[in-house]
Amino acid sequence: MQDHTTEQELRDRLSLIESMIAEGRRNTENWGWMFVLWGVAYGLALGWSAWNHSAWAWPATVSMAIIVSAVAASVKTRNRPATTLSRAIACIWIALCISMFLLFAALGLSGRLTDHLFMAVISAMLGMAYGASGLILRWKLQFGCAVVWWVAAVVTCFGTDAQSTIVFLVAIFVCQIVFGTYGVIAEAQKRKRLSSVHA
Amino acid sequence: MPNLPELNPVVHGRLRLALLSLLSVVEEAEFTWLRAKTEATDGNLGAQLLKLEEAGYVKVKKEFVMRKPQTVYRITETGRQALTEYVRALKQMLGPAADM
Repeated sequence: MQDHTTEQELRDRLSLIESMIAEGRRNTENWGWMFVLWGVAYGLALGWSAWNHSAWAWPATVSMAIIVSAVAASVKTRNRPATTLSRAIACIWIALCISMFLLFAALGLSGRLTDHLFMAVISAMLGMAYGASGLILRWKLQFGCAVVWWVAAVVTCFGTDAQSTIVFLVAIFVCQIVFGTYGVIAEAQKRKRLSSVHA
Repeated sequence: MPNLPELNPVVHGRLRLALLSLLSVVEEAEFTWLRAKTEATDGNLGAQLLKLEEAGYVKVKKEFVMRKPQTVYRITETGRQALTEYVRALKQMLGPAADM
C-alpha cells in the first residue's frame, strides 16, 4: 500500500487526525458567558436587596439565573458529544446549585440566615467549585479565582457589614465578570485561530 | 531499507480517519454533530460509518429523544487500538519528518 502513498498524503492524514482531535476537544471550552451571567445575577440581587431589603431579591434573581442557565445550556449542548471531562465539570456546578438552593432556602425559612453567613458560605462554596474545576482542567487562572473566593469567605467572617459587602463585590467582579469576559475573549480567539488552521 | 508497516485500509480512508479521530476524544457523538464537523453528505457519512461499524471500530445506538430519532456513535476498544496502531505506523513511515 505504501508504494502508492505519497509522503504528502501521509502528512495530510497526520494533520487531519490532529485537527479532528482538536475539533472534538473544542466542545468543552465554551462557557465563559455563564460566569458573566451569574456575576450580573449576583450584582442585581445584591443591589435589589440593598435597595429595599426585599426577602425575594436573592431567591427571585437566582431562580431566574438558574432558568436562563438551564435553557441556554440545553440549547448549547444539543447535538453535542458527551465527554467525561464536560460531564465532570457540569456535575460540579449542578451539585453546587442544588447545595446552595437547599441550604439557603432552609436557612431563610428557619430565620437563621445572616448577611455574614450568607456571603461566607456562598464564597466558600464557589471557591470549592472553582477550585475543583480549575484542578480538573489544570487551569491556573480558574484556580486563582478559587483562592480569591476562599479569601473572601474568610474575610466576610471577620469584617464589618460594609467591609464584607465590599470584599464580596470585589470577588464577584474579579471571579465572575473579569474571569468570564476573559473566557469569552479567549474562546473567540481560539476559534479564530483554529478556523485559520483548517482553512 | 527497513520493513515499513502496512497502513490499515479501513482507517486510512480520509472520512473514516476523521470520524475515528473525532470519536476518540468524546464518549459518544450524534450523527448530526459528526456531519457538521466533517462537512460530509448524509449518504457518504452513513456509508463510511457503516464500514467502521462492520469492522467493529464503532458502535451505533438508535434512540428517540423527545420523539425525534437520534443515532449516536461510540468508538470501540478495537477501534481505538486500530487508530493508535495507524498513527504509530504513519509516524514510522514518515520517520523524523513526522515530528516537524
